[in-house]
Amino acid sequence: MKPHLPSVAARTISPRAAARLRVGLLAFTLLAAAAAAQTPPLYSRWINYTPANGFPRGEVYCVAIAGPRVWAGTEHGLALIENGRLRKVFTRADGLAAYAIMSLAVDPNTGDLWIGGLGGLSRYSAGKFINYTVLSSGLANDLVYSVAVRGKYVWAATAAGVSRLNTWTHSWRIFSVVGKPSAPFEEPWAYALAIGPKKAYIGLWGGGVVVYDLRRKTWRPYLDPDGAPEIVLYRNQGLISNMVSSLTHGAESNAFWAGTYFGLSGYDGARWHNYMRQDSGLASNFINGVALQGRRVWAATQRGLSEFDPGARVWVTYRPANWRALDAGKAARPQRGEILITGPGGHPRRLETATSLAHNYILNLAFQGNDIWVATAAGLSHGFAAPARRILYAHPNRVHRHPARAAYARQTRH
Amino acid sequence: MTPRLQREGGKKAALRRALWVALAIAAVAATLAMRGPRHEARDWAAVYSRRRYYDPVDLKLSPHGRRLYVACEGRNEVLAINTASRRVIAAIPVGRRPKALALSPGGRRLFVANAWSGAISQIDTRALQVTRTLPAGWGVEGMAADRTGHYLYAANPLGNDISVIDLASGRETTRLAAGHFPEFAARLRGSWIGISNLLAQPAPPDTPPSSQLTLINAATRQVRWQVAIPGAVQMRHIAQTPPRFGGYLLIPFLQPHNLIPLIELRRDWYASNGLAIVQLRGRRAPRVREVLLDELDRAFANGYGAAVAPHTPWALITASGANQVAILNLERLHRLLQSPDADELARRLDAAPQFVARRLPTGRDPTAVAASPNGHFAYVANRADDTISVIDLAGLRNAGLIRLGAQRPLTARRRGQQLFFSALHSQDHEIACASCHPYEGFEDGLVWSFETPRLGRDVVENKTLLAIRGTSPFKWNGLNPNLATQDGPRTAMYIFRSQGFSPVQVRDLVAFINARPLPPNPHLAPGGLNPEQARGRALFFRTRTNTGQIIPLHDRCYYCHAPLTHFTSRVLMNVGTATRFDDTGAFKVPSLEGIYMRPPYLHNGEAQTLEEIWTRFNPRDRHGITSDMNKVQLNELIAYLDTL
Repeated sequence: MKPHLPSVAARTISPRAAARLRVGLLAFTLLAAAAAAQTPPLYSRWINYTPANGFPRGEVYCVAIAGPRVWAGTEHGLALIENGRLRKVFTRADGLAAYAIMSLAVDPNTGDLWIGGLGGLSRYSAGKFINYTVLSSGLANDLVYSVAVRGKYVWAATAAGVSRLNTWTHSWRIFSVVGKPSAPFEEPWAYALAIGPKKAYIGLWGGGVVVYDLRRKTWRPYLDPDGAPEIVLYRNQGLISNMVSSLTHGAESNAFWAGTYFGLSGYDGARWHNYMRQDSGLASNFINGVALQGRRVWAATQRGLSEFDPGARVWVTYRPANWRALDAGKAARPQRGEILITGPGGHPRRLETATSLAHNYILNLAFQGNDIWVATAAGLSHGFAAPARRILYAHPNRVHRHPARAAYARQTRH
Repeated sequence: MTPRLQREGGKKAALRRALWVALAIAAVAATLAMRGPRHEARDWAAVYSRRRYYDPVDLKLSPHGRRLYVACEGRNEVLAINTASRRVIAAIPVGRRPKALALSPGGRRLFVANAWSGAISQIDTRALQVTRTLPAGWGVEGMAADRTGHYLYAANPLGNDISVIDLASGRETTRLAAGHFPEFAARLRGSWIGISNLLAQPAPPDTPPSSQLTLINAATRQVRWQVAIPGAVQMRHIAQTPPRFGGYLLIPFLQPHNLIPLIELRRDWYASNGLAIVQLRGRRAPRVREVLLDELDRAFANGYGAAVAPHTPWALITASGANQVAILNLERLHRLLQSPDADELARRLDAAPQFVARRLPTGRDPTAVAASPNGHFAYVANRADDTISVIDLAGLRNAGLIRLGAQRPLTARRRGQQLFFSALHSQDHEIACASCHPYEGFEDGLVWSFETPRLGRDVVENKTLLAIRGTSPFKWNGLNPNLATQDGPRTAMYIFRSQGFSPVQVRDLVAFINARPLPPNPHLAPGGLNPEQARGRALFFRTRTNTGQIIPLHDRCYYCHAPLTHFTSRVLMNVGTATRFDDTGAFKVPSLEGIYMRPPYLHNGEAQTLEEIWTRFNPRDRHGITSDMNKVQLNELIAYLDTL
């Protein structure tokens, strides 16, 4: 039966009703937008930059985004990708201080790129490198594992402590076990840095995390309470291990995540939240890098890239489906991709994608809008988020055509 | 007591009383004289200021062209001149050493870079008063406001960077990396800001110098291009030609021939003078070409100011050493640059006559030049004359002279200043003292091959003339007992290849050079040394190593760099820095005052930074015992040296 349609006159509504309708529509839009904003994307399509398409061979240690430019620090120089094309690979012949690039940081004010590596620290400004080495500057050591920029200061984690350069006065400060006043480092070998607005977080190789209050100029160390790297006697009572490889700080004061070689530790300013492969969806306890994307934390591990949503308590891990063969050196390249989604129930759902990360050994990652760039042991991977994913979360009961989205939705409803 | 004695005693007492009364009257009179009426105090200040020269160093014309602003670094003032009456209508006191001016796009605000105050004065051009002071970097000079008037870009020569100042909040938001000694800035077409460098980029001493132009995209407030200008140093003002003439950037420069043994040169040819011509090409890297302004029989020494006259085919370039302004025909220059052999122009002494329409004499030491918006007149600041030359651009002739104040008798220093900047005493008028000692007596940061007939031997780094009084003997080999010897016969024989200066002129020149001060040290806070610098001072004066061993006297820092004599013992010392290219092993101990601002270091300029003196060139602890120091201590020692 054909439905009865009201006449045009009958469909005319009063101004008050129209206003209510507008308010309702606005509220719905805002709610939908809020729901969409909380929606994590799933990366189901990957493009890899490997020696096969001109990318430097060997490991990719780090990646950084500067607008349309993607910088990748590799074992054999600094690669620049622009608009999906490899533009140039900079080496020491081009003026770089280091031969292997371990860390990158973009100064949001100047647009300059700071490059830390095995050989010193470099500043790339409009096509020119300015180098800082232990011989030519106040840098503590030429093995620079991490670099970070905050305001006028550039921080560099080195094998002999942390160096801080004031780019306005050109003065250096070294935080280490030597000098006066010395820093409370159990080890001078600094591996990780995260500089917040009020605090500097320093990850030491075997020395845990040391937090420096930038205003009060005071130190606070965070150490593994049991002191043993292989075991965790006290769950959620402190840093999971003193072998800290990477750090990222949260928006809240004093909150940070630490990637260690024995698990993932999060500190919210009051409590610890530790995660290991055995009792979570973390791909591996051996973590090379951590990053925050909103509230979600990402861990670059030796067996894949893991993402954890603390609110939904859902883990997602990306890796090549043939990761065991790759890990053992029995396969030369990845085949299909694998996504593991683990909810609070603990039973992972496995999905396959046609494309995959370049390798399961993940070292670092960065976000470019909705895209993700992942540094692996065998190339750089560019991940694309599945489109129209917001609909999934706005209407969780709908039937989803994309299997990955559906699986994720099912896990979140546990 | 006898009456006589009483009388004598009474006389003495009376004398004492009279003496006391006279003293009291004298004291009261002196107090009154010292207090004096207010107008009398002002008169004394006026008398004092009248004895100071103006030293006009930068010019800006208001957008309508009716007012000319002049930065007078000698008197810490900005003058406003009515261009119709050619009279000074206001003198506005600003900070120390105003070196550069910039106008906001509408002309309502005038910014004055006070190099020695490290601050920028903002002047309301209607009220002709300073309305606020903006922060800036070290030794701030050239400035340019972006087209929106929201941000000001200021070059900091002593910091090697560029301050970006938010004009709404009055705060410095960012410092951008620049080349070595950025000194001049200009707002260009589109959203570009150009910054040129005075000194060459740091490089190993045996490499040809290369300077740098920094191009900032004002839309992003980030550096977009760092353009290398090969072979050039001392780049100064930037002017941009109209699009119909190529839209080039014109930057005067000097090409030093420092790697050629100067004794080998039959005549002169220490340096060539010309223009860097930079063509912006959108997303592609800018294209650089160079032309010489020297001609076969006359040099255009020390190019300085640059301006393009609107609605005309003329560009004006001043030469502070030649006391000239060259008027370039941009149409011919554009045509020349489109010729197939345009890349050869950097070496062609016959190129300039093809595009230089006229060379006009100016006053002494012409610096900045500005052209009126209607293209009728141009104005040249003659620093060592306290005058402004007015040029009629219709007839290409001098049309008058604006005197900035009453003519005063020239002091010996003033006469010395005029000699210092003038190239007229050298053969072919090619070189002045200021050619190798820019920044009013500083150094060019280059190594030169002086007085040796053998290629590549005894190459030495140029030395500063700032604060050299009391540090004789001079030269790295210490062979010059005093400045008079250096400025007289040695300069005549080895550098000017001419009669040189007369004895009276030498005396004046020495008076000027001896009065060259260092700029205020930005490393030194008003409260004195910070804890790190204080620890560095303790290291400088230490007598024991970290392990407690006594350091021999001659291995202590202060033994050679004696603080009471400007941190130099004024003797020759062998600290193991000689190489197989040196004929001697001992060199004059250099002063450490202002050491932070003058890399490279060591006699041959091998050390690019202070750190390298000890990390690379002191392997046997002959240049002080430093091998026991850890990196933190070395940083502290350098932090202290930076404050000297």
